[in-house]
Amino acid sequence: MKFSCDSCGKKYATADDPAPGRVYKIKCKACGHLIVVKASAGGAPAVPHHEPPTPPPPAPPEIPLEIGAPEREVPPPWPNEMRARSAEPTAHVAMPAPEEQTPQPGDGGYVDLFSDTGASPLSSILFAGIPWEIGLAETQQTLVLNDLRSRIWVQTDGQLKTGRDVVIGAILGADEFGFSTAPLVVEGCIMMRKCHLNTCPVGIATQDPVLRRKFEGKPEHVVNYFFFVAEEARELMAGLGVRTMNELIGHTELLDMRKGVEHWKAKGLDFSRVFKMPRMPADVARFHCETQDHGLAKALDNRLIELAAPALERGEKVAIEMPIRNINRTVGTMLSGRIAARYGHEGLPDETIHLRFAGSAGQSLGAFLARGVWIDLIGDTNDYCGKGLSGGRISVQPSPKFRGEPTENIITGNVVLYGAIAGEAYFRGVAGERFAVRNSGAGAVVEGVGDHGCEYMTGGTVVVLGGTGRNFAAGMSGGIAYVLDQQGEFARRCNAAMVELEPLLAEAEQPARLARELWHLGEADEAIVRRLIERHVRFTGSRRGAEVLERWREYRPRFVKVFPKEYRRALGELAAAQRKVAA
Amino acid sequence: MGKVTGFLEYERLEEAHETPEARKKHYREFYARLSDEDAKIQGARCMDCGIPFCMQGCPVNNLIPDWNDLVYRQDWKAAIEALHSTNNFPEFTGRICPAPCEEACVLRINEDPVGIKSIEHAIIDRAWDEGWVAPRPAAHRSGKKVAVIGSGPAGLACAQQLARTGHAVTVFEKNDRIGGLLRYGIPDFKMEKWLIDRRVDQMRAEGVEFQVNRVVGGAPVGAGNAQARPVDPKKLLAEYDAVVLAGGAEAPRDLPVPGRELAGIEFAMDFLPLQNRRVAGDRNVKDLWASGKDVVVIGGGDTGSDCVGTSNRHGAKSVANFELLPMPPDVERNPAWPYWPTRLRTSSSHEEGVARDWSIATKAFLGENGSVRAIRAVRLEWKDGKPAEIAGSEFEMPAGLVLLAMGFVGPYSSILEALGVARDARGNAQASTEAAGGYATSAPKVFAAGDMRRGQSLVVWAIREGRQCARAVDEFLMGASELPR
Repeated sequence: MKFSCDSCGKKYATADDPAPGRVYKIKCKACGHLIVVKASAGGAPAVPHHEPPTPPPPAPPEIPLEIGAPEREVPPPWPNEMRARSAEPTAHVAMPAPEEQTPQPGDGGYVDLFSDTGASPLSSILFAGIPWEIGLAETQQTLVLNDLRSRIWVQTDGQLKTGRDVVIGAILGADEFGFSTAPLVVEGCIMMRKCHLNTCPVGIATQDPVLRRKFEGKPEHVVNYFFFVAEEARELMAGLGVRTMNELIGHTELLDMRKGVEHWKAKGLDFSRVFKMPRMPADVARFHCETQDHGLAKALDNRLIELAAPALERGEKVAIEMPIRNINRTVGTMLSGRIAARYGHEGLPDETIHLRFAGSAGQSLGAFLARGVWIDLIGDTNDYCGKGLSGGRISVQPSPKFRGEPTENIITGNVVLYGAIAGEAYFRGVAGERFAVRNSGAGAVVEGVGDHGCEYMTGGTVVVLGGTGRNFAAGMSGGIAYVLDQQGEFARRCNAAMVELEPLLAEAEQPARLARELWHLGEADEAIVRRLIERHVRFTGSRRGAEVLERWREYRPRFVKVFPKEYRRALGELAAAQRKVAA
Repeated sequence: MGKVTGFLEYERLEEAHETPEARKKHYREFYARLSDEDAKIQGARCMDCGIPFCMQGCPVNNLIPDWNDLVYRQDWKAAIEALHSTNNFPEFTGRICPAPCEEACVLRINEDPVGIKSIEHAIIDRAWDEGWVAPRPAAHRSGKKVAVIGSGPAGLACAQQLARTGHAVTVFEKNDRIGGLLRYGIPDFKMEKWLIDRRVDQMRAEGVEFQVNRVVGGAPVGAGNAQARPVDPKKLLAEYDAVVLAGGAEAPRDLPVPGRELAGIEFAMDFLPLQNRRVAGDRNVKDLWASGKDVVVIGGGDTGSDCVGTSNRHGAKSVANFELLPMPPDVERNPAWPYWPTRLRTSSSHEEGVARDWSIATKAFLGENGSVRAIRAVRLEWKDGKPAEIAGSEFEMPAGLVLLAMGFVGPYSSILEALGVARDARGNAQASTEAAGGYATSAPKVFAAGDMRRGQSLVVWAIREGRQCARAVDEFLMGASELPR
C-alpha cells in the first residue's frame, strides 16, 4: 500500500493493505506531521529504496617528509626508530594493547581520532593484547639502561580516560599520552561496534552525508573533556608534590604499590619488575630532553644538490660521478625534493641529471626520485630501492669484476619500488621479496624475483626475465606483469586469487584475441615487453635481455601475462563509460 | 540483524489498529499483528549492534537482534525458538509490555526505534497459528513437589520452568480463574483472556496442576470472588519441598482526604476486574459502572489509563485523568538513552478521549446524599523535587465516579505473616537476586518472585523473576540446575 504525507508529500509504502476500518499511523519523517491512513489504496508494494552513496575514500593525511622538505621543523613520522611506542621495548610496530589507536604524525601535526580495534565486536578483542603499563615500563627501563631515553618521545595509549591514567603513565615513563575511545565517546560515540559497516547511527564512523547529519559532537566537548583530564592530573601532581611533568616521568617511587598489590585480586602477582627503575647515574635522562641529530648535514644528497645546481636552476644537463656506500641512504631523495619544489611533479626533462654511482648503495636508493634524474648504479643496492619512484629512472648493473650469472644473483633488496607511481627501473640481477609491491605506475624490468612479487600492485608494468618465488601477484588489482616462464613452473607459484594467466600474444594476433579497450597502456603487449627489454639492455647492458630479444621468436611464447581480474573489469567499465559519454 | 542499511531505507511501522471511535464500542483487542511482509521490513531496520543495548534494556534479555534477523529472513520457526528461549509468554508482552527494549534501541537516540514489540507480537502469534507452540513436558520426573502461590505472570513463568525441568508443580490462585492481574486487572481490550487459557492448557499438558479459589493467608480476593477456600500454611510447608510466593503487590495506595468515605470513590482494582468478569460472561457482577457519569481517574500511570479506557467504553459522560507529578517532557527521542526515560506517553486509552492534567493534588471529595459529586483539587508547583500548592489555584470538578489508580504500595501482608517471611524496608518479601541463594526468603524453603518481591512492576519483570526464581528453586532442590538464567 502506498501513501504520502498530506503535509509535505513525502512518499511511504507498506507491504499490506489494511482491512476496512483499520488505520495505520505514521509520523512523517520529513515534517513531523502525523499521517493517518485508512483502507486500502491498491498498488504493488514498493519500499523507498535509496542506497546510501558510496563514501569517497578519505584523503591520505599529509605526512611532511623532513628529508624532502628540510625547511619545516617537523619530527619524522612514525614508524621510525626515533619514536618509540610504549607497546613494546623495541622501537617498532607491534601494538599489544587492544584499544590502541593508529599512530599520529605527532606534534606539529594534527590529532586524528581513529576508532580501530576499539570498535571491534567484543568477542573479537577480548583477551587480545596486554596492558599498556607493562609495555611502557619495559620501554622506559630499556631506553634508560641504554642511555637512549633523552632523545626519544615515549608515547603511551590504551583506554586512557582520566588524569589519574595520565599521571600513572608519566610515572611509568611516558612523555605523551594518546586518547581515542574517551574523546570519541565525548563526541557522541556509543560504542555500538559496527564501524566497519558504514552505518554509524551517531554519524561518527562514516562520511556518508545522511549519517553525518546525526553527528552531534562539538570540538568544544572534546576540549572541555581534556581540560578536566588536565585539571585532575594537576591535582594529583600537586598531591605528589610535583610541579612539572618532567619531575614525574620515570619516578616510580611515587607509586604506592603496596595498597595495590595487597588487594585480594592481586594475590600471587608480582609487579616488582614493572615498577622497577634501573639504577643509572643521575645524569642519564629519564625523559625526552634532547633533539636527535639525524646527521642530515652529512647526507650525500647535499653534495649532489650542490653539483646539480646548473640543472636545478637552468635545466642544463649535468653528469655526476661518484662512489656510493651503504651509509648513504635515500640518495636522490633530497635532490628530488629540490626539483619538485621548483618544477612540481613534472620535474625536469629525462636524463637532465645523470648520476653515475659505483658501489653498494644504502637503503631507499632513489626514493621518490623525480623525473629528470637518472640514477645509474654499477654495484648493488639494499632494500627499498626506488620506493615511491616519481618519474625518475634507476638502472642497476653488477660491477664488471663480478663473475657470477646475474639471473642467479641478487642485486637489489626487498620491497623495491614500494608504492612507485611513475618512472622506470632496470635491474640486471635478481630482486628480493615483494618486488614492486603497491606499484601504481612505474615500469620495471628485473631478472628474477623472490616471494610475493608484484604484491598489491595497482598499476604500471613489470617484466621478469627469470624465476619468481611463491605467492606472486597476491592482492594484485592493476597493472600487468610479464613473466618469462622457462621452466613452466610459474602457474604453481602465482597466487591466482586476483589474476588470470594468459599467453603473451604476438602483436599481429592481439586485435583478434583481445578487445582493444582491454589493452594495457593502449599498446600491444608484445610491443610493451620488447620496448622495456630494449631499454633494459640499453641502460644495464643486460646479456639476458639481449639474448631474449635476439631469439624473440623462441622466447615470446614462454612469457606469461599476469592480468588482474579487477584491472580487466576496470578497463571495461572505463571504456563503457567513455562510450556512454560519446553517445 | 536484517539489512545493514535497513534503518536508512525503511520507516518504523506501527501495528494497524482500529480508530478510537470504532474501538470504544467493544472490549476486544484492536491491534492487529504485522503481516509477514511488514514484519520482514521492520526486522530489516535492526542494526545488529555490536553491543545490543536492547538486550540489556529488556528485563528478560530477549535475543532481539537474533530474531529480528530471523524474521527478516522469514525463518519464523527459528524465530519462535529464539524468542521462547528467554520469554515464556511472548503473546502477553507482545501486547502489553511498555517495551523498555525500544527505549534502549540505538535508533531511539535520533530516530524511531526498531519495532521490537511488534516483531515479537508477530512471531508468537504466527507460531501459535502454525501450531509450533507445543507443550514441553519433562522427560524425567524429579519426585519433588513445588507449590506456587499466585498465578500471575511470575507464578506462571516459575511454574512452567519448574514443570519443564521435572518437578511436580501445583499453582494456587485465590481467584476463580488463572492469571492474576493478567486476567483481573488488565482490561480485555489490552489483552484478551483466551490467550491465558491457551497457555494454561499448555502448562497442564506439561504437568502443572492448577487450583483456583484457594487463598493463603486471608488476602482480600479479587473484586467479586467470595468463594476462596483457605490453604493452611503449615500443611503447605509440610507437603511441598519448596514454596514460591508470587502473589503480587496488590495493596493500593489510598488517598485519605476529607470525603474519602463517600460512595462512588473506588480503587481501580475494585473497578477494572468487574469488567473482566462481565466480558467473561459472569452473572451477578457488582453493579459499578461509569456510564453517564463524570469520571475522575486519579493517577496518571498504566492503571489510570486502563480506567480511562474502561470508563469510555462504559459510556462515561466525561473522563478526566489527574496526576500529581508535573507533566513530563514531550520528546520523541530518548533523552535518558539507554535507560527508561520520563517522557510524555499517550496511551491508546488516552486517544479514546480524556482530559489530562498534571501537578494536581486532590484536597477533598464533596458529596451529596452520601455519594461523591465533585472533587476539590489544587494546582502544584514543583521546585527542586518538592511540591508547593499554588495559592488561589483551587478548583472544583464534577465527579460522579472517582477511580483511585495511584499505584500499589506492596503485597498484602497476611500471606507473608502466615509463612513467616521477613519484609524489606518497602514492605516487600525480602529476597535477593544473587546468583547463590537468590529469591530465597527468610523462611526455609520459601521463595519469592515478581511484584511480591520487587514491589509493583511490569509483566516482563515478573516473567524474568519467575524464570530466575525457578532456577533458584531447582538448584535448591537438586543441588544444581540446568534452567537458564
